[in-house]
Amino acid sequence: MSGYLARRLLQTIPLLLGVAAVVWGMIEVAPGDPIVAIAGEDGDPAYYAEMRERFGLDRPAPERFAAYLGNVARGDLGTSYRLQRPAAAVVLEALPATLLLVAPALLLATLLGTTLGTLAARRHGSRSDAALSALSLTGQALPVFWTAQLLVLVFAYRLAWFPVQGMEGLRGDAEGLARLADVAHHMVLPVAALTLQYAAPVARVARASVVDVLHRDYLRTALAKGLPAGRVLRAHALRTALLPVVTVVAAQMGFLVTGSVLVETVFAWPGVGRVMLGAMLARDLPVVTAALLLLAVAVVLANLLADLLYAALDPRVRDA
Amino acid sequence: MNTRSPLHALRTGALAVVLAVVLATLALPAALAQQADAEPARGGTLVVAMFDTVAHLNPAITTGGSVHAVADSIFDGLVRLDADGTPRPALAEAWEVLEDGRIYRFHLRDDVTWHDGEPFTARDVRVTFEEILLRFHTRTRGGLGDLLEEIRTPDAHTVEFVFDAPYAALLQRLDVSEAPILPAHLYEGRDPLTHEANRAPVGTGPFVFERFRRDDRIDLVRNDAYFRDGLPYLDALTFRIIPDPVTRMLALERGEVDHVLGFPASEVARAGDDVVVRTVPHSAGGSFCQFKLAFNLDRAPFDDARVRRAFAHAVDRATLLERVAFGQGRVATGPISSDLDAWHADDLPTYPLDPARAETLLDAAGLPPDADGVRLEADFLHFPMFTRHAETIRQDLAQVGVDLRMVALDRASYVARVYGDRAFDVGFISSCNNADPSIGVAPMHVSSNVAPAPFSNAPGYRDAEVDRLFAEAATDPDPERRRALYDAVQHRLVEDLPYLWLIERRYHQASTPAVRGVETHRTSAFTRTWLDR
Repeated sequence: MSGYLARRLLQTIPLLLGVAAVVWGMIEVAPGDPIVAIAGEDGDPAYYAEMRERFGLDRPAPERFAAYLGNVARGDLGTSYRLQRPAAAVVLEALPATLLLVAPALLLATLLGTTLGTLAARRHGSRSDAALSALSLTGQALPVFWTAQLLVLVFAYRLAWFPVQGMEGLRGDAEGLARLADVAHHMVLPVAALTLQYAAPVARVARASVVDVLHRDYLRTALAKGLPAGRVLRAHALRTALLPVVTVVAAQMGFLVTGSVLVETVFAWPGVGRVMLGAMLARDLPVVTAALLLLAVAVVLANLLADLLYAALDPRVRDA
Repeated sequence: MNTRSPLHALRTGALAVVLAVVLATLALPAALAQQADAEPARGGTLVVAMFDTVAHLNPAITTGGSVHAVADSIFDGLVRLDADGTPRPALAEAWEVLEDGRIYRFHLRDDVTWHDGEPFTARDVRVTFEEILLRFHTRTRGGLGDLLEEIRTPDAHTVEFVFDAPYAALLQRLDVSEAPILPAHLYEGRDPLTHEANRAPVGTGPFVFERFRRDDRIDLVRNDAYFRDGLPYLDALTFRIIPDPVTRMLALERGEVDHVLGFPASEVARAGDDVVVRTVPHSAGGSFCQFKLAFNLDRAPFDDARVRRAFAHAVDRATLLERVAFGQGRVATGPISSDLDAWHADDLPTYPLDPARAETLLDAAGLPPDADGVRLEADFLHFPMFTRHAETIRQDLAQVGVDLRMVALDRASYVARVYGDRAFDVGFISSCNNADPSIGVAPMHVSSNVAPAPFSNAPGYRDAEVDRLFAEAATDPDPERRRALYDAVQHRLVEDLPYLWLIERRYHQASTPAVRGVETHRTSAFTRTWLDR
């Protein structure tokens, strides 16, 4: 198993270099350069020329590309043009804030989605099944930006149950448990917005999967033997049915950054999404690449985790 | 016969007393408010929402609005500009203009200390200008770089700016937004772009830096040793970065923040009674801003003044102002904003809305309509945030056979296409005059500034007479003669129309009713702010 792990992790290195190369190329062909973000506006041409030279932006593209890739291979993601600080540090500093939203949202979405999907499957073909299916389809179709705004309007603005924005209150510095409670209070709405977004596809996959499993012979046999339906579901069906759910949850990790860009913008949450959006608008290449590399690592790790979970859930995979 | 009984008289008297009490009660809040305005209360934390994140807090290396919105409360300039643009003492308590405007001598205060306790001296001024402002503050570098001969410091509290030729607008360039003074003991001989103090600044200003969390919050506390007696009133100032405009407004209405910079014009009418909207003639990035169209004069048919005048007759600026800018501002008539009334000419040629006249001009320029009624097709570049403005203008021009193709570009792409590659026909531009035409107006028109630099002379306009008039106006110390020179240059530009000036833009800030004393004419607006809670 550890050999397998090491091999999988080693395989990510060329992948990450590939991501760095593609991101570099994409920013290179996009119009605009970071010089305005570095030097500001209303400047004289000599100043911009000076700044281009200083940041190496005047060198030919192949030369810059080679230097950049060499640095990434050595683990140096470069210095942010705009912030004049190491790009990796800028992204990693923002990571905990994003994980604070995404991790509970993924967990809740998995629980909620699986539960709703299983309930719908058990009442397969009934009105409540149709209603739940329609609900999850709607959930998947609604833009997270819109859901987030709606949550703010109803639960923060009208009902005033939660704060409108931010990660912490601004008046007075809470300490210890009070601070934790304050952050938790601020987390509720953004986590809810992300959870609704993530739960919908999980519910759909879980429903389809459970319906499929319930029609298999071994379950019919179990039911025919007179075992209670609930127990059959828990003991026999769910274990098999959960396999595709694991895949879909892992795939959601890919939306980690996209989802958080929008949710973090609505809730003024200081995470990776905000960092990446700002860096893209400023053409701050080192930071954009660092953020996308982080995303690539997250996707790889999520898939690895999914494979391990598969092995745990399905003895055939484990023994193969 | 008198029918009035004593009882009636009593009732009338009582009524009068009741009325008087009611009136007095009604008048009381107003009187209290006036009294309260006169006597500010000390203490409290003001929470300010702003839209853009802040990369660092060194206002001397950037003209970026968000940095200045925060850092201008930490630093000071040699002078500060009043609501009407008059220079008042700040770090300099007095000054003399010598040799007809060739030398400016400033007498500095001797009771000012940096937030870390070091004394403020003339060396701070010299090092800030020589090593930082004249190299990295783009407007100061562009405006003074070629004119300033040297900065002399005859003693610890005297600074002299020596120019090659008389220079008229120096004082307007010395407030904190244009020339913040940084501590020499931290910056001298160091690279100001990468200095660690950029993230933990040390100033002389009314507020002391305390904490900086990027994308989240910036906390400042009162400078108890501030040199302006009794100021500031607030104990602390917290800036929260909230990128989404709707979230900003809801946070204000829910009292999570007290004051919002960059309040959208579209929300002004919607704002409830618990929100006080303040109209300001400047954005965080500069004063007296205008929307305008820039024509690329290097491309036909925009090299033909008749085509540009046809645009002027076709675009309904009054409707643009009312419908799209929500009436927040004025119709612009020329390159110098009417808010700069010392220099704005009010007898300029006008181009009233007249589509028939526009079509005649297009005919004369050799652009007859084709079978579909189209005379001319052109690329129209704009920022996505100005899409509604651009769409309205496109519809107006379609009426006279001009077919504009809308191209929405983000800032970096726009700058590259318009100023770098010059690959555009017409561009929508928002730019600011600032405190003097020599700062914000001249650079957009003089031929030496046709260059691949953002917000330079985008049309590629070259006119020797305009160059001469702007150069003379910048160096003439006599206000009367300057006024005549700016009059002449405005007439010439409005005849030529390298730009079509559309709207003099107003910006908004909004706060809860408890917030008093916001100085909306400056970026360091909170020195006199207090909370009536």
